[in-house]
Amino acid sequence: MTTIPVLEARGLTRSFGNVRALDGVDFDVNAGEVVALIGDNGAGKSTLVKALSGNLALDSGKILFAGGEVELGSPSEASRLGIETVYQDLALAPHLNAAQNMFLGREIAKPGFQGRLGFMDNKTMRAKSREAFDELGATVRSLSDPVGSMSGGQKQAIAIARAVAWAKGVIFLDEPTAALGVVQTRNVLETIRRVRDKGVGVVFISHSMPHVIDVADRVQVLRLGRRVATYEAKKTSVEELVGAMTGALDGAHS
Amino acid sequence: MTTTEAVPRTAGTASEISRAHTLKQVLQVQSFQILLVLLVIFLAFSALAPEVFPTWGNVRQIIQNVSILGVLGIGMTFVIVTSGIDLSVGSNLVFSGVVAAKVMQAMGGSGWGTAVVGILVAVGCGLGWGLLNGVLIAKAKVPPLIVTLGTLGGALGLAQVITGGVDIREVPAVLQDTIGYGNVPGTTLPTISLLAIVLILIFGTVLHRTRFGLYTFAVGSNEESARRVGVKVDRQLISIYVLSGGLAGVAGILSLSQYGTTAIAGQSATNLNVIAAVVIGGTSLFGGVGTIFGTVVGLFIPAVLQNGFVIVGIQPFWQQVAVGAVLVVAVYVDQRRRAAAARGHAAKADGKRKLFGRRSR
Amino acid sequence: MKLTPKVTLLAAGVLAATSLTACAGGTASAGSGGATQPKLTFIQGVAGDEFYVSMQCGIDAAAKAAGATVNTQGPAKFDPTLQKPIVDSVVASQPDAILIAPTDVAAMQAPLKAAAAAGIKVVLVDTTVEDPSFAASAIASDNKGGGLEAFKAIKNLSPSGGKVLVISTDPGVSTADARVAGFEDGAKADSSFEYLGVQYSHNDPAEAAKLVSAALAKDPDIVGVFAANTFAAEGTATGIRQAGKQDQVKIVGFDAGPAQVKQLKDGVVQALIAQEPASIGTQGVDQAIKAINGESTQKEIQTGFKQITAENISGDGAQYVYKSSC
Ligand SMILES: Nc1ncnc2c1ncn2[C@@H]1O[C@H](COP(=O)(O)OP(=O)(O)OP(=O)(O)O)[C@@H](O)[C@H]1O
Ligand SMILES: [Mg+2]
Repeated sequence: MTTIPVLEARGLTRSFGNVRALDGVDFDVNAGEVVALIGDNGAGKSTLVKALSGNLALDSGKILFAGGEVELGSPSEASRLGIETVYQDLALAPHLNAAQNMFLGREIAKPGFQGRLGFMDNKTMRAKSREAFDELGATVRSLSDPVGSMSGGQKQAIAIARAVAWAKGVIFLDEPTAALGVVQTRNVLETIRRVRDKGVGVVFISHSMPHVIDVADRVQVLRLGRRVATYEAKKTSVEELVGAMTGALDGAHS
Repeated sequence: MTTTEAVPRTAGTASEISRAHTLKQVLQVQSFQILLVLLVIFLAFSALAPEVFPTWGNVRQIIQNVSILGVLGIGMTFVIVTSGIDLSVGSNLVFSGVVAAKVMQAMGGSGWGTAVVGILVAVGCGLGWGLLNGVLIAKAKVPPLIVTLGTLGGALGLAQVITGGVDIREVPAVLQDTIGYGNVPGTTLPTISLLAIVLILIFGTVLHRTRFGLYTFAVGSNEESARRVGVKVDRQLISIYVLSGGLAGVAGILSLSQYGTTAIAGQSATNLNVIAAVVIGGTSLFGGVGTIFGTVVGLFIPAVLQNGFVIVGIQPFWQQVAVGAVLVVAVYVDQRRRAAAARGHAAKADGKRKLFGRRSR
Repeated sequence: MKLTPKVTLLAAGVLAATSLTACAGGTASAGSGGATQPKLTFIQGVAGDEFYVSMQCGIDAAAKAAGATVNTQGPAKFDPTLQKPIVDSVVASQPDAILIAPTDVAAMQAPLKAAAAAGIKVVLVDTTVEDPSFAASAIASDNKGGGLEAFKAIKNLSPSGGKVLVISTDPGVSTADARVAGFEDGAKADSSFEYLGVQYSHNDPAEAAKLVSAALAKDPDIVGVFAANTFAAEGTATGIRQAGKQDQVKIVGFDAGPAQVKQLKDGVVQALIAQEPASIGTQGVDQAIKAINGESTQKEIQTGFKQITAENISGDGAQYVYKSSC
């Protein structure tokens, strides 16, 4: 092993009643790399993302960040390490505007005494939000409209922009293209590459095999709460991936 | 949980109002529409009783009688913005007043020394009930309706236990003379109203300008999202119910000052009157939307209606009918707006109007 | 027409305002024809209660006779926090006199004193305030006399005498305490009766039933019970029925609202002591008019009671039953 993964999971388990959502799963992502995480419905992908973003307590297993063991007790702890997530449901506050959502939980305080009283520097936050959206090429027309009134693509763009803006180590994208049209999908895939090029580790969950092969460097396959295979994206095929997901090609570990 | 919630384009937070540049935009914010309704009502009564109704003496007493409800309305606005409810404010007010009266009675004396202790005790009691509400709602995850229904009964019951059901009517004279019926020196503005106005300005700023206020909207808009981005949702909810409780304690001492009695049997409809005012003022029961300004306007509508009805000599029952009508129309308008936003302001074709507060989740 | 929210809301406001105008035109008090017509306002303790409606009937009739107009207002509950804003609004409307049943002795003191200070004549009806010195007159039932009347009713029902008991509501309610005292005086003054004292049922029929059962176990020869309100009467009747002594023990209730009259007709109680709210109202108007005209008034007036029994309920007792409309 030449590089130390920026984030690594070893033998994570978690049960919900009788369901073993995670059954000793291993996972790793390097800095500056896109890892696609695939698997059938219910394989445990979202659960794994939750565990690695501080949203889920584990029964057992270890999480290592840049080689050191860490406890991810809350989303804020993950954020502090530079781990950001775009959830399947986006996790936006629909009544707040784009800038407020962008900075929710990380507001910029006004300088001095006013700031200590809880007053916020809305002007700076709006300007920075605008920069972030522009950088993404996102079409967020109004920073002051509530995001709940925006189109699905715009909401997705805001959620992605927010994660990208704060992610310094790893970014998880749980089915970010599921609700998107052709153009927006291309934008998101483009964004993923751009973020990777900044040196961030990108974990991309998708059911679309062509997208996976298009954008990923490595592909890790989950089945029944375990990692059953890892492939170099360039050296694999849709058929092989589907086989691994369904269990037809058991034993193809690399 | 996919968020497809309908959100009005003009949600009506204060920051939105300040950003609404044209008159047309301002007119679309519900709290301003309701202000127009208030103006219409005011003008109608002014025409009917020009010598009596639009006088400062009359307006002054309307303001005075709305002041205690105004203090409660602040906390209720915060609570409802989080999509919660606080039914316990009236009982909490009575309980805080009773305990304060008991303590002041035991101390004796009618000076500021006794009064200040009474004020602190009342606020302390209110904060205590608020903390209990908040912890049960945020930590034990019991729905706010049930928790505050419970504390509504609990606080009132304990107030009756403490007093044996007999009102205490010994209230320090300074409280009655200054806060209860005094004016701000050099003016004819009631002191009790000045106190309410100061609290409204402070907490209006907190709700619409500070991080605490933003988190209040965030929790009401989507609790789970707020939690995931690191907002301490539980702490926020507890603080908000503590705020509502503390303000009920303040209202308790104000009520004691104004009425000179604990009025244990009174305040029975206070919670619903305050909730109605908050909703009339454009705060959504589904959370995420609301203004303190709207609440203030919402409080004045029933107060002005009642005052006007009494002056022109209309049967008292009609006042309740009128307030009920305004309330239903206000909620109807809110629903129409949500529905319109959900359809993207497009056709009104599908005819499926959500009048029953069902969430489109 | 496409109903935008804004239009709907504004329309509602305009509608409310215009319907208002329409309503106001129809009421008597809006007529500003005679400047000499005295304007009276009657503020009830609670709107719609038969006791106050009966009082209002007396007031309306007396006012009509005196050529005065009356505007009647009242809170939805017997609650000083609801009554005070009404009083303030009435004061703003500057009537010549206010007749009011204050809902709290302390809470209504300041607002009514302010009304008197503003030159409005204040007449207190039924209930009073801590210091009624500002009022032109205070008219109320003689509650002690009412208790005595209740004793007389038991004496009428059980002329041979015996043991008697009072089931009251809560201690510390001044009107109820006065009634008990009046009853006690009457019972003690009559050597053929033995007074067993007063028990408090806290407005709970079950509690009243328990108290009466226990009392009957101790003194099986009780002949009469004065039950101070409907709940007390209901529970008392239950307790007596459980002991199988319906024929021996007579119950006298207080007030003559629909609930009490039903109890009389159903045989739960054998007599009712009715107050005379209409008379309170009539005398209230008399005093108010006197005060307006600058004549001297009677500071305190006590009105009487009427016994209502099964015999006179359809005869001369009928007019004493409280009314739900005039
Ligand atoms: N909170 C929970 N309570 C109970 N069971 C859960 C919970 N979360 C996940 N599970 C179960 O764990 C398993 C894995 O679910 P998970 O959402 O991780 O799957 P997934 O791979 O993301 O599927 P999809 O492709 O459909 O999104 C499923 O069987 C699911 O029912
Ligand atoms: Mg999933």
